[in-house]
Amino acid sequence: MKDTFSTYHPIVNFIFYIFVLGISMFFMHPIFIIISGVGALSYVFYLKGKKAIFVVFAIAFPTFLLSAILNPLFSHQGMTTLFYLKSGNPITLESIVYGIVAGITIAIVVLWFSSFNQVMTSDKFIYLFGKIIPAISLILSMVFRFVPRFTEQLKKVSYSQKCIGRDVTDGNFLQKVKQGIKIISIMITWALENSVETADSMRSRGYGLRGRSHFHTYNFEKRDICVITIMAVCFIWILIGVITKQIFVLYYPLYSINQLSVYSLLSYILYFILCFLPLFLNVVEDIKWYYLKSKI
Amino acid sequence: MVLFEIKNLSFSYPNQSEKVLSNINLKIEQGDFVSVCGKSGCGKSTLIKHFKSSSAPYGKLEGNIFYKGKDINDVDDRTQAFEIGYVTQNPDNQIVTDKVWHEMAFGLENLGLDLQTMRIRISEMASYFGIQNWFEKNVSELSGGQKQILNLASVMAMHPEILILDEPTSQLDPIASTEFLHTLKRLNLEFGTTILIIEHRLEDVFPISDKILMMDKGEVIAYDTPKNIGEKLKDNDMFVTFPTPVQIYAKLGQVGECPLTIRDGRKWLDKYIEENNINVNETFLDVNQSNQESNNSKNVIEAKNVWFRYDKNGNDIVKGLNLEVKENEIFCILGGNGTGKSTTLSLLSSVNKPYRGKILIDGKDINKYKSNELFNGTLAMLPQNPQTLFVSDTVENDLLEMFSTMKISKAEKEEKLKQVIEETEISNLLKSHPYDLSGGEQQRVALAKILLLNPKIIFLDEPTKSLDGFYKNKLAKILNKMKQNGRTFLIVSHDVEFCAKNADTCAMFFNGNLVTKQKTREFFIGNNFYTTATNRMARHIFKNAVVIEDVIKLCEKN
Repeated sequence: MKDTFSTYHPIVNFIFYIFVLGISMFFMHPIFIIISGVGALSYVFYLKGKKAIFVVFAIAFPTFLLSAILNPLFSHQGMTTLFYLKSGNPITLESIVYGIVAGITIAIVVLWFSSFNQVMTSDKFIYLFGKIIPAISLILSMVFRFVPRFTEQLKKVSYSQKCIGRDVTDGNFLQKVKQGIKIISIMITWALENSVETADSMRSRGYGLRGRSHFHTYNFEKRDICVITIMAVCFIWILIGVITKQIFVLYYPLYSINQLSVYSLLSYILYFILCFLPLFLNVVEDIKWYYLKSKI
Repeated sequence: MVLFEIKNLSFSYPNQSEKVLSNINLKIEQGDFVSVCGKSGCGKSTLIKHFKSSSAPYGKLEGNIFYKGKDINDVDDRTQAFEIGYVTQNPDNQIVTDKVWHEMAFGLENLGLDLQTMRIRISEMASYFGIQNWFEKNVSELSGGQKQILNLASVMAMHPEILILDEPTSQLDPIASTEFLHTLKRLNLEFGTTILIIEHRLEDVFPISDKILMMDKGEVIAYDTPKNIGEKLKDNDMFVTFPTPVQIYAKLGQVGECPLTIRDGRKWLDKYIEENNINVNETFLDVNQSNQESNNSKNVIEAKNVWFRYDKNGNDIVKGLNLEVKENEIFCILGGNGTGKSTTLSLLSSVNKPYRGKILIDGKDINKYKSNELFNGTLAMLPQNPQTLFVSDTVENDLLEMFSTMKISKAEKEEKLKQVIEETEISNLLKSHPYDLSGGEQQRVALAKILLLNPKIIFLDEPTKSLDGFYKNKLAKILNKMKQNGRTFLIVSHDVEFCAKNADTCAMFFNGNLVTKQKTREFFIGNNFYTTATNRMARHIFKNAVVIEDVIKLCEKN
């Protein structure tokens, strides 16, 4: 599945995740949580298809459970006491509710991050950080190059060793460990040896000269400005609402929430727009393609 | 215009009295394609490293190097980075970043060019080298040939005046290396880029070079056009690595400009035969001699209707393979890339298991061998990259390591070690780190390591890949000596010439199966394209000539 949102400028992707993750993590308003949750869930499903089920049940759900169970056991704030533990500590309704809400929040953050991994690929990341700390971007890029090379060589070495009867999976525990250490030590030699040549190649191509510039393949277009503006409007509106207490939520000592007003209703709508923005963009693109196709 | 001029250059490494380079005088004209040849360790790499101060080795240097009339040490780093491009042997080690586009930009970024200029240069180079289809890929997804083209392209993006290449094709397969060399020639012709290349595929490089620079023991022994250099070096021991037409021409006592390509060789041979009244009589070649001896010996490797694929839904890699290798022979499997040759070796060494069919090693089903029994005294494999066999910090320790699982006395160990070291001629390498050795030396050490297991059957996967002609002959000698000691060899190779000289039986592998299997001479006579240069050059006159010696013999006896 080709994701349209990923084709936007990296800065757009990055700002989106900062806004969404920021609000999800620090503002645990139940309606906001529902919006963010549904948004994260549907985007992950859109990106990953069936594989998303794994993310939800194997990663997101357990983190939710952990928080929901642990919070009431360790936090005893709240006005409504339900019963007392043997140790004499009270279990309160508020701490149960807060545990559940916090659990959902963490699960949502996990979901957002699983789509983040797919959208913010290594080169986007390198590009963004290269703007801030230039040296980091090159180091990251070299690391991303090194890891697959290392594993490939490791495979080759173990294959060769196998063909002269030195299989790591053979023999007793001690032999296995010995053989394993041998291979690791020669792999380190190999890596160091090669890095000398890589350094030569870097120097010969002028690394270390003054005034290094940065190449990238991204263009900042009009549509990027549009999307950034939309996101900024949503975010600022919500931020003002939170600061002026137009929208708020309290869990301790007693659960309370803002009344439904024009301002808060608008906030919900804007947050909905923010969270579903990637999906909207995809749907718009799909419709466009549908019409383009029918014209051909 | 003279681009580089070298005056009285001598060089020795620190703490070594022996000179690696002695008294070299040389001029390289702008726009020339110069190939540097010589045995491993003759100082050719050391010489070309001096052409750029950033890569120049440390040591004692005498004499001067002038770039465009200026001493190289006075040329600033920026100019050197821009104008002198450098590509080395290992395609992987030169690549710095993880994406193809980033790698192409790397040099330009260092020079601090602005984004617009970089975009133009990169897109130009990407289209010229045909990179646009894999421009966005990760470097790790590329083939060896693509990686080396990428290295070339990223250097060319800096618009160098001269390209210096140190055995750029030694890690590539024949098709990729021919393509690479043609690309170089195209750059030379279309942009006038000067090219200085160390290369051991002389048959490919001779026809495209303007000058050949021949080195031996740190000295330049000849610097001349390819057509004239053969005559001067007739008696040098590197002559065996020269292109076939050049060798035949010189060995038949001809002087003057020699033919370089098969086409010219054919023309010249026709003329030669006519002028000297040679009858075409091939009775001097004993074509059938080797046939009878081996017929009655037993099969040590037998594969019956073997099928293999990597996973259930994948394509079959090996399709109904039938193979019989007799005891005490050198059996070569030839064939292109990705036809399943190496996979076949992995099946025969029980690393992978076929899903149908039967494999017998030394008369016993391969599945009936216990885990390490097969590799103890029966079978061993020399992998494509011999480096992957080494696990210790000196050659000696690496060899001793092989005894760790054997229960034999110390005296026996020493006896065995001595014998193996002698057999593979590595006594001078024992104290070195295995990674410091050259390709040919690594190969022999790896072979020694395998021999300590005393295998009856040895598999070799592309043994001549990074060897120059001289080391190929050395390897061939060692293999033949070991064959006389009763070992059997199964070799997988691209190298037609090597197989023609050394194999007893050759087979062609294509599309997961052996297509033909014959005695070596019959095999090459029967083929039209996949045959030796000698055969292609002389087959219209001498049908049965396969190696250079055949043609010489036939011409002289008639």
